[in-house]
Amino acid sequence: MGRALLETKLKIPQQRRDLVHRPGLRHRLDGAWSSPLTLVSAPAGFGKTTLLTQWLAGAAAPRAAVAWLSLDARDNDPALFLAYLVTAVQHVSPGVGVTALSLLESPGTSTEAILLTVINDLAGVDHEVVVVLDDYHVIEAGEVQEGVAFLAEHVPAHVHLVISSRADPALPLARFRACGELVEIRAADLRFTAAEATAYLNDVMSLALRPQDVAALELRTEGWIAALQLAALSLRGRDDSAAFIAGFAGDDRYVVDYLAEEVLHRQPENVRDFLLRTCVLSRMSGPLCDAVTGQDGGNAMLAALDRANLFVVPLDDRRQWYRYHHLFADVLRARLLDERPAQVAELHRLASDWHALNGDRPEAVRHALASGDFNRAAAVVELAVPELRRTRQEATLRSWLEALPNELIKVRPVLSVAYAGALLVYGELDGAEERLRDAEARLEDVAQQRQSSTEAAPATVVVDRAALPALPASIALYRAAQARIHGDVAGTIAHARRAIDLAPEGDHLARGAPAGLLGLAYWTVGDLDAAHQWYTEASVNLGKAGHLADVLGCTIALADICTAKGRLGEAMRTYQRSLTLAAAQSPLRGEADMHVGLAQILRERNDVDAAWAHLTTSRELGEHAALPQNRYRWRLVMARLRQIEGDADGALDLLDEAEQLYTSDYFPDVRPIPAVRARVLLAQGRLDDAVRWARDRGLASDDELSYLHEYEHLTLARILIARVANGEDRWEETTRLLSRLLDAADRGGRTGIVTEVLALQALTEQARGEGQAAVALLRRAATLAEPEGYVRLFLDEGPRMTSLLQTLVRQGDAPEHARLLLSATARTEPRVAASQGLVDPLSAREVEVLRMLGSDLDGPEIASQLVVSLNTVRTHTKNIYAKLGVNSRRAAVRRSKDLGLL
Amino acid sequence: MSTPPANHRHEQLTYEIRVQGRLDQRWAAWFDGLTVTAHGDGTTALAGPIVDQAALHGLLQRLHDIGVPLISVTQIDGPAPAPSNS
Repeated sequence: MGRALLETKLKIPQQRRDLVHRPGLRHRLDGAWSSPLTLVSAPAGFGKTTLLTQWLAGAAAPRAAVAWLSLDARDNDPALFLAYLVTAVQHVSPGVGVTALSLLESPGTSTEAILLTVINDLAGVDHEVVVVLDDYHVIEAGEVQEGVAFLAEHVPAHVHLVISSRADPALPLARFRACGELVEIRAADLRFTAAEATAYLNDVMSLALRPQDVAALELRTEGWIAALQLAALSLRGRDDSAAFIAGFAGDDRYVVDYLAEEVLHRQPENVRDFLLRTCVLSRMSGPLCDAVTGQDGGNAMLAALDRANLFVVPLDDRRQWYRYHHLFADVLRARLLDERPAQVAELHRLASDWHALNGDRPEAVRHALASGDFNRAAAVVELAVPELRRTRQEATLRSWLEALPNELIKVRPVLSVAYAGALLVYGELDGAEERLRDAEARLEDVAQQRQSSTEAAPATVVVDRAALPALPASIALYRAAQARIHGDVAGTIAHARRAIDLAPEGDHLARGAPAGLLGLAYWTVGDLDAAHQWYTEASVNLGKAGHLADVLGCTIALADICTAKGRLGEAMRTYQRSLTLAAAQSPLRGEADMHVGLAQILRERNDVDAAWAHLTTSRELGEHAALPQNRYRWRLVMARLRQIEGDADGALDLLDEAEQLYTSDYFPDVRPIPAVRARVLLAQGRLDDAVRWARDRGLASDDELSYLHEYEHLTLARILIARVANGEDRWEETTRLLSRLLDAADRGGRTGIVTEVLALQALTEQARGEGQAAVALLRRAATLAEPEGYVRLFLDEGPRMTSLLQTLVRQGDAPEHARLLLSATARTEPRVAASQGLVDPLSAREVEVLRMLGSDLDGPEIASQLVVSLNTVRTHTKNIYAKLGVNSRRAAVRRSKDLGLL
Repeated sequence: MSTPPANHRHEQLTYEIRVQGRLDQRWAAWFDGLTVTAHGDGTTALAGPIVDQAALHGLLQRLHDIGVPLISVTQIDGPAPAPSNS
């Protein structure tokens, strides 16, 4: 899916043959080849762009490696800016940014994540690349500025960012300066010196001025190139240059006023008129100029202006498109406003018409807004809605809608619905419902074929009639989305069902999106069968609509639901199917999450190595291939792998990080991180800490049970079992809770939970010394666990479970799965070498850290390799030193070699 | 949103922006109808009510765009532009 990009923005501007050579500045710019950032910062008319094109045309800079982007105000939309930036880079390195462009099509990818893929691609390029961002001062959007700062700070050594701007950009310039990583060219450097002024006036412009006249001009203009150009144009064809210069030098008027007056005064009336009428255009072609001037000959006029060097800049090789020098355009526009204020709106209206007819809707909107003709602007915006949504330029859509008067939007149902959608994309509820109601009222009018529901109100306006049939479904969908944000499950279900009923035939997206909301709603209330059915429906339709990234989101929900229902195999197949699907567009956003999902199931089946491998793959795919939730989910699974290794501290550390990184995707939080932590604490024997968690959560054994809190109550049950084992009189309380949990899980068809509760009941009986009852319950649990291969469900319970399994297996008629579980306990007991020759042996984790201490890695690198925080590495290191009786890294390595540990 | 707060007129303040160079009277419309007064010392004062800070920054931006050196920006009490102090 391409977007309409203006090729002219990506062209290095043509340089005139007749230029003043500036070897000194070009030499300074050569520093850009060894610097990440170069800044050319000076007001308009200081020759910034010209200098850059001169430099790039020079021998040191092969043109092939220059990605050029001329920015304009529209690039404040991050999606559009990124599309241009990547396309510019692709002009010189075609392989770069393929991922980035595909990510731009999927929702919610951050600017930084997209830029990261570009940076990674650039790292693989085998030649120098210069990325020029010209006219950077037009960028005001924080997101774009932050993106460029991120880019500047992370570009590989052979990539160089060059920014030209009228004002210093919002980048950490001081830091770059302090590190010697900034090449800077400023106004003082760009001013023409006396020699350059002479070269320009006498050689380039052939004015044959006397040295004292050149000196006077240089002094009066302070070397400002735009002013010298104007002066040269004023002097051309004059025989009284000395007198003119004397008059100019002796005057204190703003130089541009003085000189522009002279230049314009000397133009024939038709040229003056052309300049004043066309100055409203941000770019000009012959036909566009004709439309605005109401005359023929635009092409010829532009060519004449080009030849006379009258402030036009050609934008392409064929000289079809031009623009005025920015400074001169401002002078002309100010003059137009002063001399013909009544004409301005009309000129913009004509320009808007021409652009609308010729397919440049953004420019048509800009001119319509400038003309104050909001009706026209609203009409063009309405037609542009589908394209803007497809290319995710919600920021642009929103800025246009905000520029339109509310009364105009209210009578336009297509715009009202688009507005509600643009608000909800940002999670904003304020005003969305009002927009939807406006749209509904107007749709009613359309259906009744009447002008307006109330006599006095203005008539309903629909420009894009093709958009009408889909509006009722969109309204219902947005209502469902609102209800979901409000946590109103019944409302979500009602509106989403309505949206599906209203979806036009064959509109897969219109079916898929509400189906997903239905799946979510049913999941939230624990109706797993309905949830599974609707998520499947959503997944199929979103797939047909080509929204693969959203399919992956459904996959996580489907697999989680399967897991809760005790269908591990199906969950696994669901992830694998989606991975196959994603392979066609890899890396696809959400792909990394599939691997984390697989790792979680593989962990349950005690295939620790395979789980590790999938977590590694997930990490290698990178954040751009992951949904925002993957950052915490990854750590959650990794923590539980660490736990298997006997590294409880490492696990707790990861859980802390996971908790900090937690972001909701509106999926029910059926495995809350604090509850997972409580289980790890309990396994460590820290019963008091676990009890404190339960108290803080306000959990009690006689709580009303619900699917949403099942994980927490199962955790509470484990705490109670530990207390029973400690001799506390809580057996009845524990049994009652467990049998209620069993009942609920059984009724909800959650076989996985049923198995878990049976295992916990076995432990309860064992804790109060009822060995036979315990073994009988464990036998049932093991039998249920066998088909789907549950292992960790038992093994995570630790030594008490191991001994119970031993008892069961000794009885002879134990299920095969029980034997398997018992042999698995032997294999995965924490691997701590017994023969370390230390009083206090190193843990498996500490041995791992010790090995890295023997390498060249520094602390942060070790932390990153082990995927833990630096603090954790320090804790491990401290413990290792203590156990080895040393106090330095080198001593630790030596001592461990002596002991044969390394 | 598209409509400014209803009380914006009360928040409107008067500013004087002083720039280097004698600026032509014809810029008045370009600079939102501020009065453009050239002074004998080769500077120009642009003065008048400015809706809010965003409008003020927009004006300064436009001055920067035409390359006029900025000397000072002063908020003036009261509705009328204060007389020049030079």
